[in-house]
Amino acid sequence: MMKSYAKTILAKPWRWLLPVLSFFVVLGLTRLDAPLYHQPIVQVTAVHTGKAQKQVDNFDNHDVTHRQQVQAKFLNTARRGQVITLSNTYSGSGALDTPLRRGDQVFVERQAGRYQLKDEKRDGAVLGLLAATVWLMALVMKKRVWLTFGSILANAGLLLVTLHVETTSNQKLAYALFSLMAVLFTVVTTVFIAGIKRQAAVIAVATLGATALSLALGYGLFAATGYRDLHIEAVEYVTQVPQLLFFVQIMIGSLGAVLDESNDIAVAVMQLPAGFKRRFQAGMAIGRNVMGPLIAVLFMIFMADTFTESILWLRNDNAISQTFIWVMGLGFAQALISAFGIVLAVPLTSLLAAWPKKVQA
Amino acid sequence: MNTFEALLLALLVLMVAVGGRQGVSNFLAVMINFLLMMLAVILMAGGFNPIGVAAVLGLVVLATTIFLSTRDSDVAQTAFVAALLVMLGMLLVIGIGVRYAHVAGFGTEDSEALEGYNLLIGVSFPHILIATALFSTLGAIAEAAVAVAAGMKTLGAAAAPAGLTQMAAEIIGTALNTLFFGFFGGFAGLFLWFTQLRYPFWQVLNNQIFARELIEVLFSMIAVTLTVPFTMWIVQRRQGGRS
Repeated sequence: MMKSYAKTILAKPWRWLLPVLSFFVVLGLTRLDAPLYHQPIVQVTAVHTGKAQKQVDNFDNHDVTHRQQVQAKFLNTARRGQVITLSNTYSGSGALDTPLRRGDQVFVERQAGRYQLKDEKRDGAVLGLLAATVWLMALVMKKRVWLTFGSILANAGLLLVTLHVETTSNQKLAYALFSLMAVLFTVVTTVFIAGIKRQAAVIAVATLGATALSLALGYGLFAATGYRDLHIEAVEYVTQVPQLLFFVQIMIGSLGAVLDESNDIAVAVMQLPAGFKRRFQAGMAIGRNVMGPLIAVLFMIFMADTFTESILWLRNDNAISQTFIWVMGLGFAQALISAFGIVLAVPLTSLLAAWPKKVQA
Repeated sequence: MNTFEALLLALLVLMVAVGGRQGVSNFLAVMINFLLMMLAVILMAGGFNPIGVAAVLGLVVLATTIFLSTRDSDVAQTAFVAALLVMLGMLLVIGIGVRYAHVAGFGTEDSEALEGYNLLIGVSFPHILIATALFSTLGAIAEAAVAVAAGMKTLGAAAAPAGLTQMAAEIIGTALNTLFFGFFGGFAGLFLWFTQLRYPFWQVLNNQIFARELIEVLFSMIAVTLTVPFTMWIVQRRQGGRS
């Protein structure tokens, strides 16, 4: 019977080219979408790249910069079809710049009577990869892919509404508002995963319980250690109180992983025959197997997110300990608090899922 | 004791309470992964090619995560083989994605954080991005591989084919929640920034930081989606070889 699954997956191997194909089709289509934009977009028609200029800084970092003279043609606005010349400087490392190639499409901006390069057009790669991902998931998940995307869209909508309410209303209620959002996220997602039945209730209650406990434990430890070496003011993209942003980050960040785990446990346990002890132990066994890798998922994401800035810090002669505390520290704390939630959800979900209230046939 | 030490200690206590001996090895896995990430940063900053560093240390991350978190060696071996193959495939996917996306380095919203730094550091930011993206998919690959291998073993011979298809869809569907919420969680500040400064939709879609983060999530989703059928296929092959 496992063979039959493998067979359905491996049948018609050409289908696996569809995601790749969709990536390039969407990438191609977005090259034609410039008229949809109000901002001027040009396409590079010719590039002349100058000689490399060597650059050495006071930390002995060796790099090169190139100057490019670029001819480009307007793709939209009233100037459509007109040709302009732009200049672009790019470096070997490319922190804030990128070499332009023939065929690239970029946004330009008029400054002091001259058009200048503003930013890259990125919709092609983003939407192309999105299309490829959707196709691939549809191939593997079949019909259930709709539920998954329904759930993601519903949550994205919920996030948008919350953000708008939060930025237009009294920010004293922000903590309560984001907590409410977390509860709604959980309820919506579990209902999409499991439908309106007992399994959904088990997953939702276990998720919210474990997340709340992990936050309480985390903040308790912050307070007990006096936030020593934890610099919440180092949170990125601050438009509001950094403490609030950090709270939202750790609450939402761990929610999905805890939900994921609760679901894994509940699904497996509820397929087993009756018997509280057996079901509870099965749940714990699955949980123990899942919790390590699941912690690794978030750990790798939160830590890897700090790589770019960490390397910049180290190359600018900062000590590794300073770099860790100021750049990687918040990601590390976030990863550990989500790990609390992931560990706590194991007994909580096993208990709730094995509870012999309604014996399943 | 600083806050990080306190958090680590609490995690150790929780893991031992819930997982017993396995909890200890899970904790060990977290510590080893942490040291590997630090090592990766130091090597990349020290001038080693970031992609090479990611490929070599990525293999160790997968081995650590899978073998130290799973007591069942059958499950672990299957999961490791599948994860390793998917990782190699992802290197290709990420390479192509990064080539077209122009999202390496920093965005305009980062400029405050970059003040006073020399940016001409002689390390390729596109290569760092490839390494970052690869590392951030590894946890998801390992998790999905272990979930499938363990799930198939738990269900055993009682599993109906429909149950397996359902399991595949559920593992992918819920892994997406981890990634999706992790994405929201990591960048809540950025989303508030966009909302507060009223970025129009087109500007968000083309924004360097948003595009990069979304692309990284999509890489992880692709990785998970590939891992599930791949692991099932390997479980089936291993069973076929034994009987």
